Amino acid sequence: MITQRQQRGFMLAIISGEIMMKSGGEIYRVEEIITRICRACNIKYVEVFATPTGIFASIGSGGEEGDIKTYMKSIKSRSTNLTKISEINNLSRKFVNGDIDVEDAIKEAKAIDAKKAYPLPIISIGAALTASIFCGLFGGQIIDCVIAAALGTLTYLFSVLLSKYGISYFINYFVCVAVASFVALVSEAFKITTGHDFVIIGILMLFVPGAALTNALRDFLTGDMLSGVSRLTEAVAIAVSLAAGAGIILTLWNSIGGVFS
Amino acid sequence: MNILQLVIGLIACVGFCILVNVPKKAIIPAAATGGIAWFVYQTAMTMGYSKAVAAFVATCIVTIVSDILSRKVKEAATVFIIPGILPLVPGSGMYYTMSAIIESDYSTAGAIGTETFFTAGSIALAILIVGSVLRLFTAVRKKIYWN
Repeated sequence: MITQRQQRGFMLAIISGEIMMKSGGEIYRVEEIITRICRACNIKYVEVFATPTGIFASIGSGGEEGDIKTYMKSIKSRSTNLTKISEINNLSRKFVNGDIDVEDAIKEAKAIDAKKAYPLPIISIGAALTASIFCGLFGGQIIDCVIAAALGTLTYLFSVLLSKYGISYFINYFVCVAVASFVALVSEAFKITTGHDFVIIGILMLFVPGAALTNALRDFLTGDMLSGVSRLTEAVAIAVSLAAGAGIILTLWNSIGGVFS
Repeated sequence: MNILQLVIGLIACVGFCILVNVPKKAIIPAAATGGIAWFVYQTAMTMGYSKAVAAFVATCIVTIVSDILSRKVKEAATVFIIPGILPLVPGSGMYYTMSAIIESDYSTAGAIGTETFFTAGSIALAILIVGSVLRLFTAVRKKIYWN
């Protein structure tokens, strides 16, 4: 028999695993966390199969005649939120050590899930810093960096807004980079900046798929080939959407011959 | 000049750390990893190595530094690796490849595209190799510790 407490422990495991996967955790970390929490509840049989788009977990009371329960959780959206990963990690460690009750742990996990990212003004500063400094590092002048900072902030906030409406990442990045490239070209035409290249590169650095690439490789490293391949595909798709967004605007601009020049 | 590179790389990575929600106490170490990455990458480039080799060396160092920091700060290693490799990701190569394709300059596109691809590949390879070696180290150390 699976007791009520084991049932709740299983729920905690699933919630924790889901949050971790949504925040961009590696597969082995998700599987390990679910297994550990279940083991801490004295569940005899635990089997987890996690992919970036869904988690499948079964628990059993052991033996061939025992109860078996399976839970399937599909994961629709993914982003990178390293704070949530580290907090869920700490929570699971506390639970396994027996410092916290199942019900409290579930409450705390839900609180972690509901937690907002850094407030928007701070995110704006982050985007401005990243875009402007990379613009400078790749050869932009001071004025280019200033434009990149303003444009980067607006573009990033726009992409946050679009993802709030559930627009898929491909269209989201495509539109954001296209708009940013257009503004960069216009500001070059008005002779505000010295060139559009560096400004656009600064903006691109906000969206480059570094996190997807890293996670894909760490999944390959632990032998989770399925997730490795899917995340690598995600990284390539992001790169294509960025290049296409900037490319279409540049092509159109070139074929019109530059409206203002 | 080179110290300046390190500081500038660090500041850029502070911005990126905010975007990927690095926990507050880990922001400075994570950004420092990015600064070190950019510093090593630039130093290797001025020594005459190609972009791919420079990125490989820098990523190796990032992975090792992240592993050390993850023990010191008690956070997952990913928290440091993701901001750390950001300055190395070939965003500019991607852009110049695309702009060469638009101008129908396929030989330039091929050259820069290949370089970009190899840079991304060498980042990947470095994470894989160093990651495996570190795993091996941890496994061996645990065994010695337990027996």
